[in-house]
Amino acid sequence: MTNRRAPFCAALLGLALALASPPGAARGEEAGALAVFAAGTLAVPFRELDALFERRHPDIPVQPQFGGSVMMAKRIVELGQAADILAVADYNVIPKYLFSGSGKARAEWYVGFARNAITFVYTDCSRYADAISAKNWYEVLARPGVAIGRSDPNTDPSGYQTLQMLSLAEAHYGVPGLAAKILANAPSANMRDTETALLSALQLGQIDYLAIYRSDALQHGLRHLDLPAQIDLSDPTLASAYATGVAQTKNGALHGRPIVYAATIPSGAGHPEWAALYLALLLGPDGQAIMRKNGFGVIAPGYAVGAEKVPPALRPLVAAWPGS
Amino acid sequence: MQEASEVAPEAPPPVAGLAPPPALGVLLVAWLFAGLLLAFILLPLLQLVATPSLASLRRAAGDTDIASALGLSLIGAALAALLSATIGVPLAYLLARTRFPGRATVAAIADLPLCVPHTVAGIALLMVFGRRGLVGRPAEALFGLQFWGSLAGVVVAMAFVAVPYMVNAARIGFEAVDPRLEKVARTLGMGPWEVLLRITLPLAAHGIATGFALTFARAISEFGAVVILAYYPMTAPVRIYELFLRFGLDDAVAAAVLLLALSLALFVLFRHFVQRVAPMPGIGR
Amino acid sequence: MSARGLALDGVSLRLGSFALRDLRLEIGTGEVLVLLGANGAGKSVCLETIAGFHRPDAGRILIGGRDVTAEPPERRRVGLLLQSFALFPHLSAAENVAVGFRGRNHREARRAAEALLARFGAEHLARRRPQLLSPGEKQRIALARALASRPELFLFDEPFSALDMETRDALRDELAEFLRRSQIPAIFVTHDHTDALVLADQVAIMERGGIVQSGRAAEVFARPAATGIARFLGVENLLDGRLEQAPDGRLRFAVGGAALEVAPLPASAARAGRPAIACIRAGEVRLGRHRAAPPDAGASHLEGRILSQRSLGPLCTVTLDCGFRLVACLMARDARELGLAPGAVVAAQIPSDAVHILPGEALG
Repeated sequence: MTNRRAPFCAALLGLALALASPPGAARGEEAGALAVFAAGTLAVPFRELDALFERRHPDIPVQPQFGGSVMMAKRIVELGQAADILAVADYNVIPKYLFSGSGKARAEWYVGFARNAITFVYTDCSRYADAISAKNWYEVLARPGVAIGRSDPNTDPSGYQTLQMLSLAEAHYGVPGLAAKILANAPSANMRDTETALLSALQLGQIDYLAIYRSDALQHGLRHLDLPAQIDLSDPTLASAYATGVAQTKNGALHGRPIVYAATIPSGAGHPEWAALYLALLLGPDGQAIMRKNGFGVIAPGYAVGAEKVPPALRPLVAAWPGS
Repeated sequence: MQEASEVAPEAPPPVAGLAPPPALGVLLVAWLFAGLLLAFILLPLLQLVATPSLASLRRAAGDTDIASALGLSLIGAALAALLSATIGVPLAYLLARTRFPGRATVAAIADLPLCVPHTVAGIALLMVFGRRGLVGRPAEALFGLQFWGSLAGVVVAMAFVAVPYMVNAARIGFEAVDPRLEKVARTLGMGPWEVLLRITLPLAAHGIATGFALTFARAISEFGAVVILAYYPMTAPVRIYELFLRFGLDDAVAAAVLLLALSLALFVLFRHFVQRVAPMPGIGR
Repeated sequence: MSARGLALDGVSLRLGSFALRDLRLEIGTGEVLVLLGANGAGKSVCLETIAGFHRPDAGRILIGGRDVTAEPPERRRVGLLLQSFALFPHLSAAENVAVGFRGRNHREARRAAEALLARFGAEHLARRRPQLLSPGEKQRIALARALASRPELFLFDEPFSALDMETRDALRDELAEFLRRSQIPAIFVTHDHTDALVLADQVAIMERGGIVQSGRAAEVFARPAATGIARFLGVENLLDGRLEQAPDGRLRFAVGGAALEVAPLPASAARAGRPAIACIRAGEVRLGRHRAAPPDAGASHLEGRILSQRSLGPLCTVTLDCGFRLVACLMARDARELGLAPGAVVAAQIPSDAVHILPGEALG
């Protein structure tokens, strides 16, 4: 009856292993590590940054977690998790969720440190891959049979930023109905909550084009379109122009804003001094080089909102947000 | 199997191999651990159920998005269980009744979905059932059937993760059927298919029904694999996740409690129904 | 080959590492053949082959005069009864029997089933589930079910082996009566030789996949063909000695200082002057108080000291030392009348035709 004994032995073994693992592992955040909550699209550059940081400060281990920007913010606000740093893909997430937070789930300032652009990525196997260009993309993407993927605008910044970009494009090119025709090729069936699933879908040929950030295109070595800065949300100085682009979501009508990555140190941080060191690295020349290398536009000095609350160590690296 | 010595007519059936009741010390320790298990399961669930206010529960119950998500989950899980039964029961029969080279390997393969992380399973299924996939491409060309962002995709993802439960339970059901009964049935003039339909399947029905219930339960709660193939239309777990992202804990928890209540009610009803229609076969060996 | 009953003509079969070797049997109408053998001898495989669950590699199987070797089980007209009778647990007794009535619709089959149960005196059990039946009731239902399908042959595979002795005896008697009345030929597989004593018209003994002896029951019991068979049949006395021929032509078996009279043997039997084994059933040994008068060619007269005594209900088994160990069996009341007790000396008489000689070297 060996069949019956095997799972029992496995269970015993599993239990033994679980009990034997070092107790510190479970309490990483409170113990001696820097907890970084960051947007998924920052995963690649932040891992490089972490490695650099740990070389400069060997006694400070870094524990990053990546996910949707809103999800990470909610973890702090709703679930009460303690983060030393929160870095999001849409700077607005920080004031929206954390400025009115109570107690430890709160932030009082943030720094915009990188830019990005919304674009479409595709592969050699995508339909009309050879025909598409920065000049005719809106016509190609509206052709029947083209499958376009995008993330959920109700829950993910890149989702509603895509809608804002299409709204801006309609006005920019003067083609009425442009957005609707393209969105007809991007029905809810093609929506996912994160880019991971959509990247796989693109690589498997389930979709032909994927609305995503330029940084992702460069990181994954995918072909992408160079859209005009007037529509791709990449230039913080064009903020008022961007505001005319609208995304209709379940959370209401969201007006376009430049894609600026922002970071803050929440009030409940366990190691604020370490967090300040980390951000100093991010905002300094080494951090800027890493971001640039990974396809992000760099904002130097960083744009700060709530500048008076920014920790003194970081003040030299930031300037007030233009127009505020 | 040796039977215990048989009793006079009209007596209730003997309980084979009556064991002496365990010693008190053993019972106490066993109950201690059992208590831990029950607490482990009940505490989080009770906490979950106690969190939402009645108002938010009422709101969630009236929300059409949540209602359609629950409905989709129910239909998807039922179809997934049916699909699992169709492809799982024959394999269970073979594993229970026949010996063939590689039998252990085949049984292990049927259990593989249990070891695959759900997101990975979802992507693997997308490779096969997607627009360019081995099954997806002809399915779309011949039947117009799409597995991406559709009920079909939901069913496929649910079935993939849940089918091992069906195979294992049905196999136990078939193993409980004494092959001598089938032999006697043949000599009474029944052909092999008639024996299968009139003797084997009715006696294995309890195991198969249990498999159905387990498969359904596993399918209805699946998230990782389903969400790769189909985010919209939203099943209940996906909707709950979306609610959490958009609003926060309260709304998500209310919907979660509804899903829990529904699943529990179905499970209890199903077990009751199975007990009446297809009870454990009697000690007739 | 008989036109009715069963005939096996050189049936051979390989099943993994087991083989049935050249089986030959013939059973006529109304006859019961008891198939004896130790566990693993191949009795069940033999039955399953007759029933049609294994295809023989060679030979033919004829049931009711029909060659069924190539037929599937459902066309062989065989009634199979197994240990604990294999009643379908999800059907009532009447529904079980109704299964046997082929080619009728549900209602007709039920009515026929109930009528058949009445003939067995079991109509009150019609709606009962098999789990709630006693072994005797189960046997009746199982027989009714098998009978419903109008078999030409019954196969019984150790149906009593899980029962206590008393139930076993009762069921065996009932079964014997049933078979006598129905006149349907039957093969009864068992490893208990008392079943053979009660039921058998013919006996066949299997060993390692082959039949080592077969024939009329009385004949086989009286004259087992080898020591293994004799042991299996429960022969109590297997004596190691020497067959000698006296100057007056009479045969004698020399053992332990005594010489037993042996009835004249056929030419093919063991030869004089050689070691041999004598087979004597304990029931053939007569015990008495005095040594009977003159020694004669019809019987051997010995004296022995009682070593031990065992009572088995109405019977009594006595072990004597007559220069060799001799086991005798007599009625308990006769033993009491003779005043038998360990240590006493009694006279034993062994008829010459009760001494069955087997060729052989010393017993292992």
